[in-house]
Amino acid sequence: MWWYVGKRLLQAIPVFLGATLILFILLKLRPGDPILNLAGNKPVSQEVRDALAAQYHLDDPLFVQWFQFVKSAITFDFGETFAGQPVFDLIKETFPVTVTLAVMALSIDAILGITLGTIAGLRRNGWFDSSMLVISLAMLAIPIFVLGFVMQLIFGVKLGWTSPTVGSDWTIGDLILPAIVLAIANFAYTIRLTRTSVAENLSADHVRTARAKGLSERMVVRRHVLRNSLVPVVTYIGINLGSLMAGAIITETIFNIPGVGNAAYTAIFKGETSTVVAIVTFMVMVYVLMSLLVDLVYAVLDPRIRYA
Amino acid sequence: MPDIRPGQERFVAPIDETPLRAIDAVNVDAVPENQWKEAWKRLRTSPLFWLATAILVVIALMIFFPSLFTSADPERASLDNSFGPASDGHPFGFTQQGADVWARTVHGARASVTIGLLTTILTALLGMITGAIAGYYGGLMDTLISRFSDIFFSIPLLLACIVVISVLNNTFPNRGFWGSVMVVVLALATFAWPQITRQMRGAVLEIKNLEFVDAATAIGASKMKNLRRHIVPNALAPVIVASTISLGVFIVAESSLSFLGLGLPSNVVSWGNDISAAQNQVRSGQNLDVMFVPAAALAFTVLGFILLGEAVREALDPKARKK
Amino acid sequence: MSTNPVSTGPLLEIENLEVGFRAGKDLLTAVDGASLTIYPGQTIAIVGESGSGKSTLAHAVIGLLPGNGQITGGAIKFEGTDISHANRSQIMALRGSSIGLVPQDPMSNLNPLWRVGTQIKEALVANGVATGSAADKRVVELLEEAGLPDAERRARQYPHEFSGGMRQRALIAMGLAARPKLLIADEPTSALDVTVQKQILDHLDTLTESLGVAVMLITHDLGLAAERADHLVVMYRGKIVESGPAREILQRPEHPYTKRLVAKAPSLTSQRLSSVAAARAEVREQAVQTAAEIAAEVAHSATVLGEGVDDILVVDNLTKVFTLRGARPWQKVDFAAVEDVSFRLRRGTTMAIVGESGSGKSTVARMVLDLLPPTAGRIEFDGHDLRDLKTKAERLKLRRQMQPVFQNPYASLDPLYSIYQSIEEPLRTHDVGTKKEREAKVRDLLDKVSLPTTVMGRYPGELSGGQRQRVAIARALALDPEVVICDEAVSALDVLVQAQILELLNDLQAELGLSYLFITHDLAVVRQIADDVLVMQDGKVVEAASVSQVFDNPSQDYTRRLLDAIPGASIQLGL
Repeated sequence: MWWYVGKRLLQAIPVFLGATLILFILLKLRPGDPILNLAGNKPVSQEVRDALAAQYHLDDPLFVQWFQFVKSAITFDFGETFAGQPVFDLIKETFPVTVTLAVMALSIDAILGITLGTIAGLRRNGWFDSSMLVISLAMLAIPIFVLGFVMQLIFGVKLGWTSPTVGSDWTIGDLILPAIVLAIANFAYTIRLTRTSVAENLSADHVRTARAKGLSERMVVRRHVLRNSLVPVVTYIGINLGSLMAGAIITETIFNIPGVGNAAYTAIFKGETSTVVAIVTFMVMVYVLMSLLVDLVYAVLDPRIRYA
Repeated sequence: MPDIRPGQERFVAPIDETPLRAIDAVNVDAVPENQWKEAWKRLRTSPLFWLATAILVVIALMIFFPSLFTSADPERASLDNSFGPASDGHPFGFTQQGADVWARTVHGARASVTIGLLTTILTALLGMITGAIAGYYGGLMDTLISRFSDIFFSIPLLLACIVVISVLNNTFPNRGFWGSVMVVVLALATFAWPQITRQMRGAVLEIKNLEFVDAATAIGASKMKNLRRHIVPNALAPVIVASTISLGVFIVAESSLSFLGLGLPSNVVSWGNDISAAQNQVRSGQNLDVMFVPAAALAFTVLGFILLGEAVREALDPKARKK
Repeated sequence: MSTNPVSTGPLLEIENLEVGFRAGKDLLTAVDGASLTIYPGQTIAIVGESGSGKSTLAHAVIGLLPGNGQITGGAIKFEGTDISHANRSQIMALRGSSIGLVPQDPMSNLNPLWRVGTQIKEALVANGVATGSAADKRVVELLEEAGLPDAERRARQYPHEFSGGMRQRALIAMGLAARPKLLIADEPTSALDVTVQKQILDHLDTLTESLGVAVMLITHDLGLAAERADHLVVMYRGKIVESGPAREILQRPEHPYTKRLVAKAPSLTSQRLSSVAAARAEVREQAVQTAAEIAAEVAHSATVLGEGVDDILVVDNLTKVFTLRGARPWQKVDFAAVEDVSFRLRRGTTMAIVGESGSGKSTVARMVLDLLPPTAGRIEFDGHDLRDLKTKAERLKLRRQMQPVFQNPYASLDPLYSIYQSIEEPLRTHDVGTKKEREAKVRDLLDKVSLPTTVMGRYPGELSGGQRQRVAIARALALDPEVVICDEAVSALDVLVQAQILELLNDLQAELGLSYLFITHDLAVVRQIADDVLVMQDGKVVEAASVSQVFDNPSQDYTRRLLDAIPGASIQLGL
C-alpha cells in the first residue's frame, strides 16, 4: 500500500511541474511590456520598474523564472491584482463558498447519480432504464449556462422559491439551486457509468457463485454487485472535479456567487491575464491534489491496486 | 460393481432422434459479413441512429443552405426593432440590437459545427497517432507520450482554454471568422487529445498481443505494415465512438467559452455569442425567444451528435454483438 | 458408492427436462428432454463437448440459469420435491445448504474485492451454520480441509494473491461450507495444470466420500469422467444420447456419438497404443522420404534459406531471461523463463515440447520463430545461425520456411480480414505470383485443409474454432514452409475436432514432408503426433527422449507424475 502511495506521489510531481510549465509559457506569451502587464498597464516609475523586475525575476533566464513561478505557486504567492490586492487573499476570500458549492454539487451528483444508475442497471432495459437514458442524454446536450439560466428564471424569478442571485452574504440555502445546476452537468455521466458497471457485474461469474452459496438477493446485490460497481464510479466522480471547477466559473457567474470562479470571470472580463493565470494555477493545483486523493481512495476500494 | 439402481439403467437414445452432425460442418448458406458491414446492419435498424441522422441533416441544411430556412439577413440590425415581437418572416422576433433571432440562429450553426468538427478531427488524429505509437512501440516512447499526455490531462479542458484564449486575445485581438475559429479549435484540441490517446493506447496494447499480429510478423510483415494493416483498423471502433460523442462536448465547450466572452469575437454570428448576449437582456424578461431559440438549436445539435455516438457504440460494441 | 444401501430413495431426479434460451423472438432449446437420477453419496458425471447443454443442465438444477434462460418442461425433483418452478426463496433455501456449486473458472469466480475467508464466511452465515468468530474458525478449518496449507493466513488474503489451484481449493471449501447433500462440480479443474488437476480431484473425491456428499461432475473429458464417476451421462446437442455404468459405456459404447468419443478421446489412447504407434510410424516414414527429396532441392536452390542438412532445426543452450519489477520500486528481478534448452528437430519428424503453464515451452517457440530475441544460445535453421541473419531479405527467407499455428482460434485470425485475405496475406507480403495465381493457390490450400472454397468470402467470426484452426494451418502452409510450429494448436478445441485437426496435421506431414515443433501441455495428444518428446519444467528440460521411451519407460519423476495425471489412462477399454 505505502509503495503505491509513494509511487503515486512521485508521479504527481512531474505532472504538476509540467502543468505549471504550460501555464508559465502561456503567461510569457502575452504581448507587450511584462512590467506594464504586471502593473495593469499604468505608467510606472523607474524604481517601481526595478523593484518589480527584481520581485518577479524578470531579468533572469527563463527557466529560473519558471522555477520562481513554481516556487511562488507552492508557497501560494500568486502576485497581485491590478487593484493591488494579493491574488492569494482574493482566493482565500472566495474559496470557501466555491468549496461549499462543489461539495454540495458532488454530493448531489454522487447520491442521486449512483442511486438512479443502480436502479437502472438492476432493471436493465425496463421502462425506468429507458427513461433514464433519455433524461441523461438530454442533460448532456443542454449546456450548463442555459440550464442555469432557465432554472434561475423558473425557480428564482417566476416561482420565487429561492433568491435568483446569491451575493456576498451567502447561505447554504442560497447555494442549493446553483449546486443542482452544477451537479446536473456531471450527473448524466454518473448515471450512465453506474448503470453499465452494475449491469456488467450482475452477469459476472463471481456473482453467480455468490448466489450459489445461498446468499439472499439483497446481500448479493449489496456485497457483490454494488461494492464492485462503485470502484470505477468513485474514480470517475473524482475525475469529474475538473469539469466541476470549470462549471463553477459559469455557475458562479450566472448566480452571482462570490466564489473563485466569479473572481476568475471578473479577471477575464477586465483583461487581467496574470490574475486569470494565477487563479487557474491554483485550481490546477487543487485538481492535481484531488486526483491524487482519488487514486488513494481507489487503492482502498480495490485490493488489487494496493499490492500492484 | 454396484447394483444398478432404479433410474440408472443403461440407456441409449434412438439414433434417429439424435442424428449425428458432421464434425465441424461449414454453414454454406449464410451471407458473408465483416465487422463493419455487420455494424452498419445494426446501425440501420437502430431508431437512435435515424433520429440522430434526422437532426444532423437539418443542421447540415442550415449550414449549407441557410436560405431554405430564412430570408432575413442575420447581420442587419436596426434599433427600431429592438426586442420586436414575432412578425411575418421573423418567426421569433428581434434581439436587443434589432437583428432577426431566427436568421441569427440559422446562420450561427456554421461557427458551432465547424469548431466541433475541426476540433474532433484534430483531436482524433493527434490522439490516434500518439496513442498508436505509445501502445505499439512501448518503452521510452510510451513513457514519454504517457507522461506528456498526463500533464495536458491534468489541466481541466475549459480552464486551460480560458487561459490560452485570454492570452491569445491580447496577442491577436482582431482575427476574423477563420482566425477566431482556429484559435478556439487549437485551444480545445491542445488539451483534449490525451483522452483519445489513452483510449487508442489501451486498444493497441490489447490488440498487439493477439496471435494474428504474431502470425503476420512470422509471415514477414514489417512492424509498420502490421500497425497499419492489422492493429490500427482493429483499434478504431472505440476511438470512433469517443470522437463522435466528444464532438457534442466540444460544441458545448465553445459556447461556454463564448458565454465567458472568450469564444468567438462578438461580431461573429454564433450560438454561443447569441445566448451570451441574450442572458443579460432576458433578465429583464422581454423576448425570451432571443435566448431560447439559439439555445434550443445548440442543444439539438449536441443531442444529434451524442445520439449518433450512442448508436455507433451500440452497433460496434462486441458485447451487444454476442446477444 | 456401494457403501450406501440400495434401499434409499434418489437424491435428485431429473425427468424430461427442457431448458430454452430466449434470443429475440426465438426460443432456442439448450436441454431437450434430459432425464437422470442421482442417489445420496453417489458421484455421476455428465460428459459432453461445448454447447452440448451440460452446464445449462447443471445451472437449471441450482436455479442459476441466466436471465434469458427458462425451464420449459419436465421436472427436477430434489428429495422428492419438484424444484423446477420453485420461487426465489425456496431455491435460496436449497442453495449452499442442500446443493453446492464448484464453478468452472477459478480466476473469475471469486470476488476480487473481498478476502477469501470473508467470502467463505458468507456461505456459513447465509446458511445459518455459524456466525461471528465461530464462523471465522470454521473458515480456517474448511480451507485446511480443502487442502490449503497455512489456512489461517490464507483466509485473510485476497483472491489475486492465490494461484489458480489455490483458488479452486477455496471454491471447493466454499461449495462444501454448508455441507450440501449434492455438489455440482462444473468442469472444476479444466483451467488448471494436469498435475494440479489430479491433486484437486483426488482431494475432492476423498472429501466428498468421507462427507457422504453426492457429486454431479460436469466435464468434457471422457477419461476423467470414467475415472471419477460410477455412472456416466453423455450429452450431445442438448440431448442425453447414452447413460449407464461408466465402465460398461467405455467398454461397449452403443450410440454412434459415444463410439466416436471413446475412439477419439486422447486420454484413453493408451489402450489403443499399437494402432496409434503404427499409424504414426507410417506417417513418419512417408514424411521423412518426402522431406529428403525437398532437402535435395533446397541444397541447390538460392531462393530459400538452407543447406539441406538432416537436422532442420538445431537449438543449442537457448536461454531467455526476463527482467521483472521487484517487490520494491527500485528492485529488479531476473526471471529465467527458459534455461539452457537444446534439441534437434530432424527433417520430416515431429518434436513435441510438453510442459505445464510457466514451463517456458511457448517462450522457446517464440524464440525459434524469431519473434523474441534469445538472451543466450544458438538457433540454427537448416545450417544457418539465426544470429547471422542481419538483412531484411535474409529474414524474409527464414520467415518463408518457418510458420506458426497458434492456440487461440479466436485470436489467431484478424477479424477484419476475410478468409481469402487471411490466407492470401503471406503470398502478398512475399509478392508471390499474380492475383490469379494467388487465388488458385488459396483454393488449393483450402482444399488441403478440407475446407470448401465457399468459405473464402467469409469472416473469422462466422467459423467455428476447428474451422478457424484449419484456416490458420492453410495460412501457415501458404509459403510452402518446411517447419510448422504448433503452439498449443489443438488445446482449445473439442475432443472430436481436436482429433480431426491432429489427423489433418499428420496427413499434411506425410504429403508435404513437413517438420513440426509441437508445443502442448497435454501429454495425451503427444502420442498421436510426435516422434520425440522434450519435457520441460520451470524453464529447464527435464527429459528428452523418443515417444515410446517417455510413455513406456519415463526416466524422470516429473514425467511420471505428468503421465499419472492423464485422466483415465488406466481404464480398460473393450477395443
